[in-house]
Amino acid sequence: MASRYRPTFRTTEFGLLLFPALTAIIGLAIILLVPRATLDWSWTELWTSLAFAGAVIVMSLTLGLRGFRGDQTILPLTAMIALIGMLMIQRLHPDLAARDPGFSTIAQRHLMYLGVGLAVMWLSVMLLGPLGLIRWLQRYRYLLILGATALQMSTFFLGTEVYGAKLWIDVGPIQIQPSEIVKLALVAFLASYLDENRDMLKSSWNVGPMKLPPIPYLIPMGVMWAMSLLTLVVLNDLGSALLFFGIFISMLYVATGGLVYVVVGLGSFAAACYGAWFAFDRVGIRVQNWLNPWQDPLVTGFQPVHSDYALASGGVFGVGLGYGSPAYIPAVETDYIFSAIGEELGLLGALAVIALYLFFVLRGFTIAIRARDGYIQLVAAGLSSIIGIQAIIILGGVTRVIPLTGITLPLISYGGSALITNFALAGMLLYVSGLPKRA
Amino acid sequence: MPSIIRILCGIASAALLGWGLATIDDVSDARWLTILGMAWLLLLLATYLPLPNMPQFSRSLIRIAIVFATVLAIVSVQLIRIQVVQQDAIAYRSAQTDDGDAIANPRVVLTPLENQRGEIMDRDGVAIAATMEQDGNYYRSWPNDATSYVAGYHSPFLFGSSGLELTYADVLTGQAGNNPISRLFNNLLHQPQQGSDITLTLDTDLQESAQAMLGDQNGAVVVVDVDTGDIVVMASSPAYDPNQLFTTSPTANADAQAYWDTLIEDTDAPLVTRANLGLYTPGSTFKTITAAIAIELGYADPDSVYTDDGELVIDGRVLEGQNRPDVSQTQWTLREGIMWSLNIVLAQVGLQIGGDEFWLMAQRFGFGQDVPFDLPVSQSQLASDRSFLDSSNAVADTGFGQGEIQVSPLHMAVITAGFANDGAMMEPRLVDQIVSPDGSVTGSPPVETWLTPISPETATQVEAMMIDTVNAGSVQAAQVPGYLVGGKTGTAETGVETPHSWFIGFIGPQEGEPRYAVAAVLEFGGSGLTGPVSIGRDMLAQTMESPPPSD
Repeated sequence: MASRYRPTFRTTEFGLLLFPALTAIIGLAIILLVPRATLDWSWTELWTSLAFAGAVIVMSLTLGLRGFRGDQTILPLTAMIALIGMLMIQRLHPDLAARDPGFSTIAQRHLMYLGVGLAVMWLSVMLLGPLGLIRWLQRYRYLLILGATALQMSTFFLGTEVYGAKLWIDVGPIQIQPSEIVKLALVAFLASYLDENRDMLKSSWNVGPMKLPPIPYLIPMGVMWAMSLLTLVVLNDLGSALLFFGIFISMLYVATGGLVYVVVGLGSFAAACYGAWFAFDRVGIRVQNWLNPWQDPLVTGFQPVHSDYALASGGVFGVGLGYGSPAYIPAVETDYIFSAIGEELGLLGALAVIALYLFFVLRGFTIAIRARDGYIQLVAAGLSSIIGIQAIIILGGVTRVIPLTGITLPLISYGGSALITNFALAGMLLYVSGLPKRA
Repeated sequence: MPSIIRILCGIASAALLGWGLATIDDVSDARWLTILGMAWLLLLLATYLPLPNMPQFSRSLIRIAIVFATVLAIVSVQLIRIQVVQQDAIAYRSAQTDDGDAIANPRVVLTPLENQRGEIMDRDGVAIAATMEQDGNYYRSWPNDATSYVAGYHSPFLFGSSGLELTYADVLTGQAGNNPISRLFNNLLHQPQQGSDITLTLDTDLQESAQAMLGDQNGAVVVVDVDTGDIVVMASSPAYDPNQLFTTSPTANADAQAYWDTLIEDTDAPLVTRANLGLYTPGSTFKTITAAIAIELGYADPDSVYTDDGELVIDGRVLEGQNRPDVSQTQWTLREGIMWSLNIVLAQVGLQIGGDEFWLMAQRFGFGQDVPFDLPVSQSQLASDRSFLDSSNAVADTGFGQGEIQVSPLHMAVITAGFANDGAMMEPRLVDQIVSPDGSVTGSPPVETWLTPISPETATQVEAMMIDTVNAGSVQAAQVPGYLVGGKTGTAETGVETPHSWFIGFIGPQEGEPRYAVAAVLEFGGSGLTGPVSIGRDMLAQTMESPPPSD
């Protein structure tokens, strides 16, 4: 075991990190120079990108010094995705601030969150082991889920309403978005619960001639169904509801392999959503915008129509970083940041972002398959699924493949809670990849 | 599941997507979403791999990974549809509500302001449509009231473009006419395209003079260089002001919209520029064409004698003669018929020609054909249908310019110029040169003969009859001291009290060939002997006095 702590040079990781490091410097230079229209710049203006590049490289080096032998692609992937977000927010900042003074500090805030996020990721890898936090989460799972539910529901009482949904609570000077923290707690809880009840889940239960699913399946299914629906109905947060339920269904499927439960679960959730379509105007408007935003292009369809304009204006190669007008899209810095990417970096840039998320998920699943401990396997699978499901929900929504449900594009959208949580997620995944593997 | 089924599902999925991409054009068509959903399900079947010999956990995880990948593939297809296949349909889609609020892609509507649109200038370089820069945007203005509507309006946020602003949009925006290398360079460096300038054959001074003479009367004046087809004057009344239709933002449109509404609701239809789009019965001016056809076909010469004793009976209808300067005289030559505009003489000439040959020869003069021009020109007609000329009375009426003849002022000017140019009708030219931003001339529409309906001999005889008409006939008011002028008036019966009135004519030095031809028409202008003659005469005289810049 001593060899695990012998310092190493993480060659693959270091090599891959050169891509986000160079992209950061070149990208920021483009963003600075395009509005100036002259080649007039200095290195000091690029300090944020230099700091970012330095931070990820130092992170790789320190992990090597620590003797960490986990996955070498999660950090470069995380850095690359987060970097695209950083560049897009830096690029959007002047346009947004010109329109609304409330956005005057968006770029600085994002940089701050990014810095905290990177630190959280680094600390996760360095300290999760020594602190035994993963095992602690496994042991106190009910406390965890109760706390998470309480936090989620507290937004109903303490929440600040934005766009008709209460997603944030104010804590002193900062706002936090509980659903982002809840999603991690949910994965930890489900991994612990499903791992412990794995065998029982696979047995069935007979009432007379009827063959019913086992109780350990029914109870969490009911709890999750209720929690997701409460999030939907009470908090008006469709995106999180969909994410929570998606996490639950995929982790259940991974733990049991029972396709029937998945179909039943998805079916019942779909039925509930169908009901919500009729019951709530908000949901109805989203469905209408999905089917045809041109029914009311100036009011309800304004956002999707402008998103389509941006994407279509981008074409294959994009209009070029800094040359588009993505600020016409309301909420472009959060829900619709993908449209800004599509406009300025084109179809190729958009597909690259999709590919990055897919690589991240596939790499996370590989970590899960290689892990030795059942609980750890489920944690890795759940964490990776979060990124996959969240990307699908928002990318599908922005491109109108599915109705839009507001949720952040992981690691790219503006938003402190989401950014820091997703860095923590990446850190946990990276830490887990360093645990003993299957023979 | 057998692999052959998976392969078939994969092919079916791709085929379904390809078919949907190719056939469904509406960007908000729910059928496309159905196709996406079905293609996804087929894709799931196609990727349902057997995955034997592995733990359940790994198998489940791989299945989930495949589900994620297929969904992202569908999202990618949707992106390809939005960004590539339906790119233009989406980027250029716009909508307007009943309240007049509009939504359009701001990038598309801003582009016209980001490009430095080329200028439109008259033959002396006077600006007709100009572009001014302010805060990185380029604003369009039309400084000359009398020519602005010839340039047309350019209203990128609201009504699009018309006139030369439309015909030469590619040149003016720099999409065409520029050096292709500099165009590529500008595109790569994201620099605004600088459009080419256009120099016209018009003269703004003469145009202003014509506009002033038209005043508040509806009508048109066209002056054309008989040798080159250059349009020196093309005035229409009522005019409109394109400046009022140009707006600088997608939102502040109320004034422009109000002005547009008044233009649309105005019963005088100011957007219909009379010179090229107006159609009028030519009245007696058409007698020159009837005479030309008869002479060309050998039915008559200027000295052929016809009887006009004040009455002509055709198929039982009595045609009353007018205009005879001496009612005791009953025998008149064709020349005298033109000089004094004798309907009975020209009716007989028309009957000599007959419906068939009239129809064919009129086509050779451009009736029923599109005039090759930089602006749209309404098509002139001899009759609404060939069968109209089956009746002798219709042929007789046509002979002296009534019946169902409709002709545009521009076309009439070109025909008149043809008489003065040995029978060769030149293609009317409005754009003289295209000048790229670096100052080089990159294009110049050629001087070309459009039609040659009659021989030089016939043309010379018609020309001489028109000169006689001005020197010693009914249009002596058109004389210009020191110059040789030929002309003919016309009065188009409109069925209402005051008819439309015409003057066509040409001018040249006393000794030598005619230089310019004119067609002037006034709606409800009374007899052609008054308004149009003085306008036409003065325009001809002024044009002679204002020589074009020597190149």
